[in-house]
Amino acid sequence: MFLREIINWISFQLHILKNVLIFLAPAIPMTIKLTLVAFALALILGLLIGLARLSQRGLIKVFSKIYVDVLRGIPLLVQIFFIYFGLGKILNLDRFLAGVIAIAVCYSAYLAEIIRAGIQAIHKGQYQAALSLGMTPYQTMRYVILPQSLRIIVPPVANEFIASLKDSSLVSIIGLRELTRAGREYYSQYFVDFQTWLVVGIIYLIMTLSLSRLVAYLEKKYRVHGFGIPH
Amino acid sequence: MIIQTREISKRFGEIIALDGVNFEIEAGEVVVIIGPSGSGKSTLLRCLNGLEKTDSGEIIIDGIKLDKDKSSIHKVREELGMVFQEFNLFPHLSVLGNLCLAQEAVRKRSKPDAEKISLELLKKVGLLDKKDSFPNQLSGGQQQRVAIARALAMNPRIMLFDEPTSALDPEMIGEVLEVMKTLAKEGMTMLVVTHEIGFAREVAKRIIFMDQGKIIEEGKTEDILNSPQNPRTIAFLSKVLK
Repeated sequence: MFLREIINWISFQLHILKNVLIFLAPAIPMTIKLTLVAFALALILGLLIGLARLSQRGLIKVFSKIYVDVLRGIPLLVQIFFIYFGLGKILNLDRFLAGVIAIAVCYSAYLAEIIRAGIQAIHKGQYQAALSLGMTPYQTMRYVILPQSLRIIVPPVANEFIASLKDSSLVSIIGLRELTRAGREYYSQYFVDFQTWLVVGIIYLIMTLSLSRLVAYLEKKYRVHGFGIPH
Repeated sequence: MIIQTREISKRFGEIIALDGVNFEIEAGEVVVIIGPSGSGKSTLLRCLNGLEKTDSGEIIIDGIKLDKDKSSIHKVREELGMVFQEFNLFPHLSVLGNLCLAQEAVRKRSKPDAEKISLELLKKVGLLDKKDSFPNQLSGGQQQRVAIARALAMNPRIMLFDEPTSALDPEMIGEVLEVMKTLAKEGMTMLVVTHEIGFAREVAKRIIFMDQGKIIEEGKTEDILNSPQNPRTIAFLSKVLK
């Protein structure tokens, strides 16, 4: 008798979880798309700002320092509000674009610092050797410095990518129908909170865990040659 | 005159690194610069190829005046090969990659041409079998020989050596000096900052003694080594030769 009740309860719970999953599944691609587009943009911006931070020219240096300080000092949620409700009204941005810009700009500041540190970690002698061979500053950066910085930069950048996937849930606040937003919609229709947020959490967890596995694999496979202990 | 400097001066904040340096070098000459550390020897080499900018004075290399505009620095660097104390090989590239990179990027040689030249030079420095190794797999002496080959691959008319053996274990100094002696015999113009008096005695035509950013004394190798005139040169040599 008792056993039967337990089995019933479990199958009922599984039924709810299945329904939640079916409801949420169509919103997963939006979370992925939002993160990928925003992070790609953040990488380009971050590289430019990171290089600007190292510039010899005073104005560029000062501007890029201010950019990084301001964006790192304001919560992403506030930036999303500002871009969607503030700038969005003027520039007529839709929810997706506003979300992309907010995440991209915010993360570009963090990435700029990582990239700057990665470039600065390369020994001065590398520049001198490349320049003394007649290479231009651009060639020196492109063929000598950046390939070495990459090894230093990749792990923290991968961490930022995973963080940005999680932070993309903040965009739900302006009504973009990504994973978290879909969770809120399901809850407000059926009032099952525990099961809804459990499934939402597990979906994020599966995505972030598989990403960190992928990163570890890539790091191993594309390990830059010539560093570390001689064999 | 392949190198001419007139009254070049350079300060780093309060420190005067070079204080009105004048000297000339003829094509094919091997000149050794000696002097205590901090005397401006390395700064002088770095100024010659524009890695450091002089505050005043004039540098003329193979008829090209080195000035603020980038094209003159570029032309001068094409004439000058430089070898550093810490080798400065590119750790992410193989030995062959180290030699080919600038040939392709700067000299615009095709990959097969660059490789052919690189292999000849590796043979010359005795490291043909290491062409696919990475710098961290080589000993210090081997790395420095690769660095010399890398500079030579650009067909420089002058080679600058900035304490090329100072970072080496004693048993590896000989192999690097051998390569340098071969170069000297082939008629390469060389300006060498070194503490290896034996090397100077054997290959240098002239010695320049520097102290506190100035050239204190210069002359034929045997004159400087056997009968230095300036008290500071005498004091320095007595310490180095002891």
